[in-house]
Amino acid sequence: MTLNTDAAQSGAGWDTRPRKWSNDGSDILVPILRSGILAREFCRHRPHAEVEAVFDRSIYLRSGDVFVCVGEPAIGNGALTLIADFGISRPLANLGLCPGQPASISDRCIAIDDSVRFTFDRCVLWRQPRWPLSRSLRELNDLCSAIARQIAFESPHEGLGRVVCLRQGGAGETPLARLACPRIARFESWLFGALENHHVPITASPASITDLIGLGPGLTPSGDDFLVGALALLDALAERKAHAALVRVIAAIPRGLTSALSECLLKTAAAGHVGENLSRAVSAVVSGMPDQAVAAIRKIGHSSGWDVMAGILTTLHVVAMRDARPSLSVASIE
Amino acid sequence: MSVVLNEVRRATYFDSIVLMRISRQVAALPGVEEAGLIIGTPANKDILREAGILSEDGNKAEPGDLILALRAKDRPAGEAALVEAKRLLDQPSTSGAPSSDNSPRTVRSAIQQMPNANLALISVPGHFAPAEARKALALGLNVMIFSDNVPIEEETALKREGRERGLLVMGPDCGTAIIGGLPLAFANVVPRGDIGIIGASGTGIQEISCLIARAGSGISHAIGTGGRDLKAEVGAITTLMAIDALDADPGTKHVILVSKPPAQSVAKTVLDRVAQSRKSFTVCFLGAPQLSLPANACAASTLKAAAELAIGTTMATAQAKPPSIRSDHGKCVRGLFAGGSLCAEAQIVFRQAGLAVASNVPAPGASPVTGTNGGHLMIDLGDDEFTRGRPHPMIEPAVRDRPLAEALADPEVGVILLDVVIGFGAHPDPAGHLASVLAGGRHGPLILASVTGTDGDPQWRSQQVNKLAEVGVIVADSNADAAMMALTAIGISNR
Repeated sequence: MTLNTDAAQSGAGWDTRPRKWSNDGSDILVPILRSGILAREFCRHRPHAEVEAVFDRSIYLRSGDVFVCVGEPAIGNGALTLIADFGISRPLANLGLCPGQPASISDRCIAIDDSVRFTFDRCVLWRQPRWPLSRSLRELNDLCSAIARQIAFESPHEGLGRVVCLRQGGAGETPLARLACPRIARFESWLFGALENHHVPITASPASITDLIGLGPGLTPSGDDFLVGALALLDALAERKAHAALVRVIAAIPRGLTSALSECLLKTAAAGHVGENLSRAVSAVVSGMPDQAVAAIRKIGHSSGWDVMAGILTTLHVVAMRDARPSLSVASIE
Repeated sequence: MSVVLNEVRRATYFDSIVLMRISRQVAALPGVEEAGLIIGTPANKDILREAGILSEDGNKAEPGDLILALRAKDRPAGEAALVEAKRLLDQPSTSGAPSSDNSPRTVRSAIQQMPNANLALISVPGHFAPAEARKALALGLNVMIFSDNVPIEEETALKREGRERGLLVMGPDCGTAIIGGLPLAFANVVPRGDIGIIGASGTGIQEISCLIARAGSGISHAIGTGGRDLKAEVGAITTLMAIDALDADPGTKHVILVSKPPAQSVAKTVLDRVAQSRKSFTVCFLGAPQLSLPANACAASTLKAAAELAIGTTMATAQAKPPSIRSDHGKCVRGLFAGGSLCAEAQIVFRQAGLAVASNVPAPGASPVTGTNGGHLMIDLGDDEFTRGRPHPMIEPAVRDRPLAEALADPEVGVILLDVVIGFGAHPDPAGHLASVLAGGRHGPLILASVTGTDGDPQWRSQQVNKLAEVGVIVADSNADAAMMALTAIGISNR
């Protein structure tokens, strides 16, 4: 496989010329434009995979417990993502791909069932940018109101966004809210302890984390997305103790708490890899730019982005509480 | 008798939006009481169990499986729903509901889908709002900009562009409007009528329109202008255009202007325009000094007075004299408001009674909160200092919990004054939240409140009032009435 290691930018080099189709339609060539670093490793070391899921804008290939996403540029770059140029004449949905089809992977292409070939000739490597320097926690806590207001308005009723921002969870609320509120509260307590203590044993209340895993609707359950947001923010704020503690718990989660796809994405986030849109959202949060954060979140799935942001805001709130503890009676740090 | 049915699809993946769309479609099928469509993780089985819709079949699902769970009123309804649900799952992209692809993603595509539309509501981050508003104006649409954080220079430029095109620009930060009977953003369900409202104040429009509705009259249009329209930099562009529009509207007989006090030069411009109208006006510039009004206009010092002048009659107050405050408490009044205009109105009532009052957002004549001043305090909880890290108190009533707890524990406070604002956009049960905070018995200050809304609102005003009454809160007919009851309770004659 030939991979250009120049940093790739979203949309750069994406043309809309029709793809090359063979006369009998059996050899559809789709160029891969960009590859995430883990997707590249996947293609180097796993010669065989299978189509696991097919969506409007992307497909997932699976080999063992690892998934790689092949999708349109609009889904955004990611460590486990291959961005392909499907052109305007034949979108992904028309390729006839379906779950269960075998995929053969070489250094030149991914061939699916001898009918579609994703080629690496034009592929460049996408690298996740470094986190920017963070503004003060007091400033960041202030900007949460703008983001929380947007979550309250925009996020779907089904996810954790509204649960977190509207503090739902009373007897009259949804079953998800009733279950999620105390679990998020336990996560907050755990995180507060992890931020405070120098040594957080792996056995220290892992249920505070694992209770959230697999919780909620969506392809990736809301609770998983919430934890991805928490991981990314702790990493961006360089809260290394708490980040490491959370990573340890997630790395040790038993199988069967969530879907294999979501577990793969969660563990990828625990390894420090997040997608382009989440990276932008978290960078915007720590830079004090709420509008940009919300704009980036809107590009992440239907509800996942808001669930991720719920995790980011919850985590930011706890970190700010830790720093503001001597004056906890201040109304703004409730 | 209700029946619970589950269908498990092994190792099935759907986009989140498809899952949620089908889940809603199934929940809306005839006879279906509850439905869910989620992957079969242990945590999600907890959710289905909590909802009472997990069966033995569903309980056997694996995390990679999809569980369709429903409870129907009887077996035939449940089985019919299951058949329909299977059809939707088998053909997710061709289901009856409009797919996400049909949702317009741009103003231009929206106008293509709805060529007769004449108004765009812009609710995007403030940084992007001017660009979207300009696109809408270029397409011939009036614009309501809900977004805030738009620089005032942009606001002025947008409004000038709108004026050149003959199009209204409501906002930025325009939270409330009712156009042709349709509530937009934070607004209430009120009947159509012949009273028009032009307001730079969201909760001011809500309180006035609801009082008018509850008095049996109605609203032709309520046009929000955004809070800065009457500033000198903007020059009341939208207010003046709104007066033109309501002047020309045969369905409007009387117009109410409501706002904080405008810049002096702007006030003159607006009142000169009012003088040219053949319609009657009520001018409610909350806290403004004595105004020199044209003959066709009357001044109202409070929102309630504005409503009364518009309908031409005094609204009776149903409440009896409130009980006296407890002897072991002080006589200070602590107002904790979600609505900024409601906070201003309460301050004005107190100032009119000759009392000193302080506020974090002081109305004319009131003092700013210094941290050392005791006495009567009116707090606008929608102000930034209380909404850091959380939504506006109209959306999240818990913002009031801590200040309320402090007021309840303060021996100097004899009366707590509260507002509850309902309607579209507001919390689904703000009174229920308040009641949960106050439940369990109180022996502290007297609690007075008002509920801004109508029984047509999703939260039902009468139900909200009942929830407050059940925990001992005395609910006045209006915010001004509540403030006056507070005066009575501390022994001040205000009539």
